Amino acid sequence: MEKTKTFLKKSRLNQFLETLRIFGELHGPTVSESGVYCFSPLHEPAQLQLDYRRTQIPPKKYLLPFREEILHYASGTYREGHSGAGDLVLFGVHSCDLEGIAYLDRVFLADPADPGYSTRRSHLTLVGTSCEPDDFCFCPEGRESSSCDLFLAASQDGFHLSSHSARGAALLSGAAHLLTKGPPPPRRPSGTCLTPQDPQLRFSENPLWHKFASTCVSCGACSVCCPTCYCFDVREYASLSGGALRIREWDNCLFASHGEVAGANFRPDRLERLRYRFLHKYCGFTPLQGVNSCVGCGRCKEVCPVDIDLRELTAPEPEER
Amino acid sequence: MKQAQHTHVPIAARLIERTDLSEDTTLFRIAPEERALAELSSFVPGQFVQLSVPGAGEIPISPADLPAPDGTLELCVRRVGHVTELLHKQRPGAKLGIRGPFGSGFPLREMAGRPVLLLAGGLGIAPLRSLLMHLLRQRNRYGEITLMYGAKQPRLMLFREELTALAAEGGMRLYLTVDFAPETAEGNHSCAIGLLPDLLKGFRFDAATTYAAVCGPPPLYRCLVADLERAGVAAERILLSLERRMRCGVGRCCHCGLGQKLCCVDGPVFRAGELKGIPEAL
Ligand SMILES: Cc1cc2nc3c(=O)[nH]c(=O)nc-3n(C[C@H](O)[C@H](O)[C@H](O)COP(=O)(O)OP(=O)(O)OC[C@H]3O[C@@H](n4cnc5c(N)ncnc54)[C@H](O)[C@@H]3O)c2cc1C
Ligand code: SF4
Ligand code: SF4
Ligand code: FES
Repeated sequence: MEKTKTFLKKSRLNQFLETLRIFGELHGPTVSESGVYCFSPLHEPAQLQLDYRRTQIPPKKYLLPFREEILHYASGTYREGHSGAGDLVLFGVHSCDLEGIAYLDRVFLADPADPGYSTRRSHLTLVGTSCEPDDFCFCPEGRESSSCDLFLAASQDGFHLSSHSARGAALLSGAAHLLTKGPPPPRRPSGTCLTPQDPQLRFSENPLWHKFASTCVSCGACSVCCPTCYCFDVREYASLSGGALRIREWDNCLFASHGEVAGANFRPDRLERLRYRFLHKYCGFTPLQGVNSCVGCGRCKEVCPVDIDLRELTAPEPEER
Repeated sequence: MKQAQHTHVPIAARLIERTDLSEDTTLFRIAPEERALAELSSFVPGQFVQLSVPGAGEIPISPADLPAPDGTLELCVRRVGHVTELLHKQRPGAKLGIRGPFGSGFPLREMAGRPVLLLAGGLGIAPLRSLLMHLLRQRNRYGEITLMYGAKQPRLMLFREELTALAAEGGMRLYLTVDFAPETAEGNHSCAIGLLPDLLKGFRFDAATTYAAVCGPPPLYRCLVADLERAGVAAERILLSLERRMRCGVGRCCHCGLGQKLCCVDGPVFRAGELKGIPEAL
């Protein structure tokens, strides 16, 4: 039966990648000269690093560029900026990052949809791949996200493909000639993943906050690399011609300036700012109150220069273990 | 789905008149383009608009009154920084931009038939003025109306003559106070010396039914809420108009977060009861 032909032999991966190019510019996990994993254009298949653990910057950069022109002002009126979106296929995205994008979708596609984000999102094709958890990961065990167009679950000598959207089905049929029937997909390995639990309970007066606050340097790295941190600042620049440009760029709630208003700062202390981020991550914000936006990618722990691990807050307390 | 318009692109507005109220605060009357009028007509006192000053940026401002029948809007703005500085340099005819209204307003329907106590500190009079004007225009729908307004010094007291005249018409009770009065002629006015909470202390009112609307500088809220509660006003009837740094105005930039709420969509008007347990709220 045609339907069961969803297995891609490893030897055909490169050909498969070529078929993806029909759907847009192909990007995937690569390693930079300085040894940093990042999503970048795949000019040739050899660049692809499919056994990567996590990229330094999450895929949010494709949907919310670090800096974006949102408006320009000329001859007395403001106009929408250019989204700069072209068709793009992002290959090799892990489940945690797919869930991260799904969260951003809930924020930026909600009515009224954000114009730049929704344009870029509609041009983005997502191809997920399975992963091997490491010590930093803590996504729910066995999670395989379906928040993508196509998902590739790796097994011994190939990949099991499953489509999760009309575009995914189109990708499948575009590559039909490369697919065969295969063995059933393997179970995803279960690693050291742990589920954050009961964060609200640990939120308020936990002595761990004081421990964290005494070492945190407010560098903001944990928020920059988080796939679901999206807060932004807006600035406007006048041009000599009398026009102006309004841009938005990533901001960071760990910076002291974030909570400032005239004559006061609502979060002047590190402790308050760490707690604020944690509350937002694990307990959500209007209108996503109660939704945990930490997808367990482990980036924040990996990049923190002083090894702060917010998981300590959500891990079972020693006596409970 | 609302237009993308709503999220980013301001509608053109023209500055038509400006009246200086004090050394750093000016009342701007702006005329938004016609396509903004339908949306602006839904404005409820307490809501805010995002005002664009081309070349400088955008700031949240609570209109000082409901839109006039001709569609113009009064914005009372203090010069404090980058955007407000450039706004204050604008002359009639200047082009501005406007989005909104955004956020929650005062629960007018719920307040109907009840006495209303307005407590304004400094620039906090701006959003409360639109509430006051609305209450006075619909005078018979509400109970007793009282405004207590405190400024640092007599010359920083905004709308003083207007408020005094309104009080003289008999529709409301007005109590003015200044933190201190210099020993010059200008200090020689009919207002008390002291802080707003001092005024409240001597005030007799029906705490069981009164709605209190508070707006002022951050330090004012904590003590006023405590005093009001002590006097018997339920936390659900204490309405606070809060101020946060705002960028998007539509719940996206997270600049205005307090606890799990966002000031721009859940507020800026909150009930004191809603804010309990949020350490950074007040
Ligand atoms: C809901 C709401 C309603 C408001 N209504 C009025 C009003 O009717 N009249 C009025 O004059 N002002 C009002 N404000 C405050 C006004 O938005 C700020 O004064 C303005 O954003 C300052 O912009 P700026 O670029 O001139 O100052 P900046 O150069 O950005 O900063 C100057 C100083 O003001 C502080 N500041 C910056 N943005 C804000 C902000 N949004 N709120 C408070 N402090 C800020 C900064 O921390 C700094 O101390 C309101 C604010 C909010 C949130
Ligand atoms: S909080 Fe840390 S682990 Fe969770 S999604 Fe963000 S970066 Fe990843
Ligand atoms: S990365 Fe670590 S040190 Fe830097 S702000 Fe985050 S918790 Fe603090
Ligand atoms: S102003 Fe952007 S979220 Fe409130």
